[in-house]
Amino acid sequence: MLAKLRAATFEVLETMFFLFPESLEEGEKLRSRGPFLRSSVTISGPQSLRIGLQVPQNLARTMAANFLGATEVEISQMEMEDILKETTNMLAGSFLSKLEASAAFQLQTPQVQWLSAEEKKKQELVKSLRFEVEEEVLELFVEKG
Amino acid sequence: MAYNVLIVDDSVTMRALIRKILVISGFDIGEYFEGANGREALGILEHNWVDIILSDVHMPEMDGTALLKALKKHQLWRNIPVVLITTEARPEIIKPFMNLGVQDYIQKPFRPETIRQKLTGILGEARTPDASEIESCDF
Repeated sequence: MLAKLRAATFEVLETMFFLFPESLEEGEKLRSRGPFLRSSVTISGPQSLRIGLQVPQNLARTMAANFLGATEVEISQMEMEDILKETTNMLAGSFLSKLEASAAFQLQTPQVQWLSAEEKKKQELVKSLRFEVEEEVLELFVEKG
Repeated sequence: MAYNVLIVDDSVTMRALIRKILVISGFDIGEYFEGANGREALGILEHNWVDIILSDVHMPEMDGTALLKALKKHQLWRNIPVVLITTEARPEIIKPFMNLGVQDYIQKPFRPETIRQKLTGILGEARTPDASEIESCDF
């Protein structure tokens, strides 16, 4: 399952953002400065799952700029949130296609929230994939929905 | 010939992206219209002629399915081609939309060439840019 999620991540980031993530090994440290944006989408169905993304604000801004073909200074907070939600949605959709999941699995509306560095520290992501993107860390997580 | 395009998506940023890609694609676009859901799209159609609709599926108030049903009931609008722009392309998800008369679909993530190819196939070749033109565009 995580392999398919990894493949979906590469596909979405490369196609829509012209960003080329590199997988980080477990325990590999890379410092990212907050605040962070956390976006997630629930996949309802026989087994309910929640897939999400967590990125520092700097990376969210870069992603939005690449997505919209704008400069980073032009990007608003709302655009960063919107792009993160859209990205999570695309990731989950691509993931379901790769799984060849039945129509019983349905994507719900994505949600987004801001986290301070403190709040992020308190969180424990159960199953996560970490990537280095533009010298920042992008975390992808899967939870029971 | 210039084509009038209606983009229906609840995400402002997605609408901006699609619009940008359409510009890059080199089609002779007449007017752009944008709606955040099916209801807004129908409101736009009441007062404007549209040649093609690019629509999202999941939208608040009136989703893609309800929009398609409304279009099919209308004498003037039933023949307007609709292309779905969707995160989900599983056959079981897409088939009901095809049965409702959707012309084609584009799965997100997509490349600009994909939109260009789909529109060319449906509307015909108005003006197709060189590959070098597309590659040199920064979007």
